[in-house]
Amino acid sequence: MTESFNHALDDATGWIFETLLQPLMYQWGLMDWADDALQWLQFGLFGLFSIAVVYLVCRPLEAWRPVEPVTDRSAIRTDIVYTLLTRLGLLPMVAFVLLASLQAWWEGSVADSGFVPPTIETLFPQLREMPVLAFAIYAVILDFGEYWRHRFQHSFRWWWALHSIHHAQRQMTFWTDDRNHILDEVIAALWFGAIALLIGVPPGQFPLLVLLMRLAESLSHANVRLSFGRIGERLIVSPRFHRLHHGVLSTAGHGKNYAVLLPVWDWIFGTADFRRDVFPRTGDPEAPEALATGGWLRQQAVGLKRMAGAIFGRGTA
Amino acid sequence: MRRRALLLTAPLVLLARPAAADLVYVLNSGDSSISILDAFTRQELRRIPALREVHHLVLSPDGRDLLIADSGGNEILFVDPATGEIRRRERVSNPYHLDFSPDGRLLVICSLRRNQVDVYDARSMALLARLRMPEKPSHMAFRPDAKVVYVTLQGSGTIAAISLETNQPLWEIPVGREPAGIAWHRGRLIIGIMGSDHFAVVNPETREIEKQIPVGRGAHTIFVQPDGRALWATSRVQSRLVEIDPSTLDVRRIIDLPGGPDCIAFDPDGRLWATLRWSGRVARVDTRTGEVETIRVGRSPHGIFIQPRRAETEGLAQTAANRPATNAR
Repeated sequence: MTESFNHALDDATGWIFETLLQPLMYQWGLMDWADDALQWLQFGLFGLFSIAVVYLVCRPLEAWRPVEPVTDRSAIRTDIVYTLLTRLGLLPMVAFVLLASLQAWWEGSVADSGFVPPTIETLFPQLREMPVLAFAIYAVILDFGEYWRHRFQHSFRWWWALHSIHHAQRQMTFWTDDRNHILDEVIAALWFGAIALLIGVPPGQFPLLVLLMRLAESLSHANVRLSFGRIGERLIVSPRFHRLHHGVLSTAGHGKNYAVLLPVWDWIFGTADFRRDVFPRTGDPEAPEALATGGWLRQQAVGLKRMAGAIFGRGTA
Repeated sequence: MRRRALLLTAPLVLLARPAAADLVYVLNSGDSSISILDAFTRQELRRIPALREVHHLVLSPDGRDLLIADSGGNEILFVDPATGEIRRRERVSNPYHLDFSPDGRLLVICSLRRNQVDVYDARSMALLARLRMPEKPSHMAFRPDAKVVYVTLQGSGTIAAISLETNQPLWEIPVGREPAGIAWHRGRLIIGIMGSDHFAVVNPETREIEKQIPVGRGAHTIFVQPDGRALWATSRVQSRLVEIDPSTLDVRRIIDLPGGPDCIAFDPDGRLWATLRWSGRVARVDTRTGEVETIRVGRSPHGIFIQPRRAETEGLAQTAANRPATNAR
């Protein structure tokens, strides 16, 4: 199944690249970026496919057992904009174009220092023959990194000012997963880059596994009264587990359930709340209304302003 | 009747099959793996996991090791070309394209992403020099006396000459938009101008472009046929394989090859194998008839190499000196 999925994705990407994208790149004098463009195309197509899969799984669940009725469709539309910008690679592409030269300089400097970034597989050579296990270990370590990044988002006032955009949503659905300030996304990329410098970048040949992880992350935001049971709740983040994190009493530094994929981190660090019957209202009562109901651009501007206020000691954050 | 015919011909087919078929190594840059194909049955025998992003490969001067560069994984795999067994790995900074100097003394490695060209001692793998270059050093070709290496700079639209005596750049000249593959041929450098539709022929003495060879949009790489009777070039946008006369440098024949043909290797039967970057396949081309067969491999296949095991079996092992012509990168 994995192979068929990969072949179908490859064939679609190859055809679109060869017949549509590459001729345009040639026309515009961008052949230098052909390899990168192919990767971005694959990223975008995969993003499109993952949106479709997430929709097909989550939408029926939300219709089946919603936690709350949908009263604000425009707030959901804003979340859809966030999702499209993130998952189709438009924001990452802008970041890539802006940061490509910086990255070459940085990597050159690292190389000049004599440091060759390691990988998990160089530290544990037996993993070379077990790429799926290696991928799983990367996923666990990166998820651990995400847990702490998430905790810091709630701990530092300036960072919370950005992250509160994610929490301001009162009409939380599976579309809310990608609702993040663009600067917060840049910090996330730098965070990931720092971890990658220590343990390497995870292998990229398992799109199906990435798809399952994305599905789990989107599902955790879904408007569905669903818990994974006493054991399941401790294995993977459920809609119930994550809704509690988005509860109105769980904002800023009062948070619970920070884990993105694996609840074990909350368990270990004492931030877990496993009450299975609690489905609180979501939102950040202290956030300005624009963060809850404004459009994408308005939310970006207000988020930036609040962050500046938090850094320079003005306004609320 | 049909069944009887099959029964009669089966032993003949088995007899025709060589005892040890040639091995074809294909580097799947998009999914971190190396496909090993049986050249006779065209079946994939094994898939070796690599770390991140394998692009190019080269046979060591003594023919003992096949060096496979994993740019994203920051390492080079030393593989036994006869069996596919990984003998060892070396930590190397972002190796993209690599080749040995004709005297076998040096290993030069281009790092496309880090804008550097590294010169290593081939025997000890000690880094002798790291040259910070303009944008995107891509492919390389050596002067036969091993004193100079020429590198295409994809992002700068130039080629640079680097002295291997002083490890210092000698000169840099513009050749056209996004130069990629480069080959030394009879005192000239032939360079694929990827942002255009031709190969540029440069005289390295005068540093002038003497001729253009039109091959089709996205001119990419060029390889010399082992018997020296033809040059073969690829164009990735127009998806063409082009045969070029080695004396006049005129185009003899064009074969359409959908899928973005890239690197080329030749098998002992005179067939040509090319990686098709955008379709996840390799093409096997009969250069006499132009007949094409494609075989599915991994994602974005790039470098390709053929180990002529039949020659070894029959005691006709080639010497290291003539191998590079058979095994193009």
